[in-house]
Amino acid sequence: MSGNAGFLRLGVVFPLVLMVLTTIYFAAAFDIHAQFTPEGEMGPQHIPMLVSGLMYVALLVVLVQELRAPAAVAETEEGASLLRPVLVVAATAAYIWLFRPLGYALSTALFVAALFVVFKFETRRPLVFALYVVGVVAVFYGLFAGIFGVRLPTLIGDLI
Amino acid sequence: MDTLSIFAGGFLELADPTVLAFMIIGFLVGTFFGAMPGLTSVLAIALLLPITYTIDVVPALVMSASIFMAGMYSGSITATTINIPGAPSSMMTAVEGHALMRRGKGANALGHAALGSMIGGSIGAVLLMAFMPVAADISLLIRTPGKFSLVLFALVVIIIVDRGAMAKGLVATLMGVMLATVGIDVLQPVPRFNFGTETLVQGIDIMPIVIGAFAISEVLIQAQNWRSSLGATLEKARDIKIRRRDFLPPMSEIREIGFFTYIKSAIIGYGIGILPGAGGSMAAFVSYAVARGGSRKPEEYGNGSRQGIAAAESGNNAMCGGAFVPMLMFGIPGDPTTAVVLGVLVINGLQPGPRLLENQADLLAPMFASLFVSALILIPLTLWLFGPYFVRIVSISKGLLYSAIAVVALVGSYVATYSVFQMSLAVMFGVLAFFMRKLKYSTVSLLLGFILGPDLEQYMRRSLSLSDGNPMVFLTSPDSLFFLCLTALFIYMILLRKKKPRGGGGRDGPDGSAQEA
Repeated sequence: MSGNAGFLRLGVVFPLVLMVLTTIYFAAAFDIHAQFTPEGEMGPQHIPMLVSGLMYVALLVVLVQELRAPAAVAETEEGASLLRPVLVVAATAAYIWLFRPLGYALSTALFVAALFVVFKFETRRPLVFALYVVGVVAVFYGLFAGIFGVRLPTLIGDLI
Repeated sequence: MDTLSIFAGGFLELADPTVLAFMIIGFLVGTFFGAMPGLTSVLAIALLLPITYTIDVVPALVMSASIFMAGMYSGSITATTINIPGAPSSMMTAVEGHALMRRGKGANALGHAALGSMIGGSIGAVLLMAFMPVAADISLLIRTPGKFSLVLFALVVIIIVDRGAMAKGLVATLMGVMLATVGIDVLQPVPRFNFGTETLVQGIDIMPIVIGAFAISEVLIQAQNWRSSLGATLEKARDIKIRRRDFLPPMSEIREIGFFTYIKSAIIGYGIGILPGAGGSMAAFVSYAVARGGSRKPEEYGNGSRQGIAAAESGNNAMCGGAFVPMLMFGIPGDPTTAVVLGVLVINGLQPGPRLLENQADLLAPMFASLFVSALILIPLTLWLFGPYFVRIVSISKGLLYSAIAVVALVGSYVATYSVFQMSLAVMFGVLAFFMRKLKYSTVSLLLGFILGPDLEQYMRRSLSLSDGNPMVFLTSPDSLFFLCLTALFIYMILLRKKKPRGGGGRDGPDGSAQEA
């Protein structure tokens, strides 16, 4: 999938996804039951309904614009692929999942190492790579735990 | 008089070593983030936001103000040296500054940019302190229907200011409003859109939205574009030699620019700062255009006009002072950076409004002082100390930089509430903002919609409740009518008047990478 073609499709898919989300939101607005709303006045459900209506109109305009002017959205960088952002999101999801069980030091070291690989930072010099990983983990441990006194999760003892 | 003495006391507060340290650190961080293409002062303050849970409100606000001022000025560094504006607000400086750089006058251009920023920033801060009490008095006159129309005016301006993509601006703003409706209703103890979960009953905090929209999305965008030509440009730029003695602009050049140019641009910048959503790019562009219109040497513009640099930089730095007025008085941020500063206030339990100045001016005064000192002292001092090394500093490896930003953003999301749920939300909003930015939806509009949505709803429902459901209250109330007429005037001026050629008034960078107004 080339970047241009991908985002050309995405330009149409994105508002469609938002339309689905708006529909869920709009439907959920009917489940809001006000404790008291005098007749003729606005209750907690009315603004969400109004916003949903406006959103549908705006999304329709965007969809028409996207379909009419496909060239206008084909401005993404040459060779831009979603692979690296997906890898970053996967690494981040794993980091969040492991943050408490493994503790700050180990999980952050793994996360930083993963990002260095994604960004191809010092991957050819393993020792420098490892030193930078340890450096980043230590600097931010010092910032959060040392300077701001935040209790970060640990695996064993107080540090690791 | 009381308020003035409190403002003067703000300067004394800066003498506290801790507060002073936060101001200087903030300024250096802001300078780095502003100078580095792709990074902005909004991102710097966004990363600071979780830390404000662990520090006092005064150092947090002082630091935010110095980051704001530094970020607005330092965009001119890479704009001049390598023709890549560190922030969109330095677009006009890139045009003129880099032309001077090519003629071997780069240090002179940086000196003029710093002088313009210094004068504009200082005037903006003074105007802020001088007019805050007046603004507070005026805001007391505005009643509920008027407040609704004012917030509506702000939202309309935010949407229409982005003429190229208004429908997308509206979608982004409405998304923000929708997110703000999650949680307990603004007037009744009724949960909304919690979908049966306990976690969403409390609503969505501003922090994961800010971290996601400005930090995580930036990491994802850089991950996608990591092998850009920027790295090579910065590598080449390492050899640029800049000498300190060339920074000082000769008096003859300053006289040629004219003191009136600095003052006029500062007033324009301050006025634009008051407008919601307009921001630094528009302040710089309008000041530049006005200076060009009245210039005795218009032919110099585009070929290295020092007056153009002075006007643009004076305008965008003066905007910093103006942007605080609507944020502090009405909770309406003038630009994305003040939107995040509003988050700092809210986290610390401070509610914007005239009472804030009346009851807690002592907390705000150091922030105003920080804005002034950052402009008047730290801008020239930083240029003098670090000027020759700026380009080398911004040549830091992107891999290291963005990995560090990702760690600060995620750990910061955790430390705010000790919850991995907040981390997950930040990532979720980061992914959303990534797609929004790639598809040219403004994440700034999303944030402002989120902030202003609850006010819009609350004032609308209260007004209707007070008038037994009669919507005519918005037309019969004089303050409300005034703001509705102002909204109509802005729609006419921006949308319906004959279109003029545009320069650099856009909110986002070329790839949506720079999100600062």
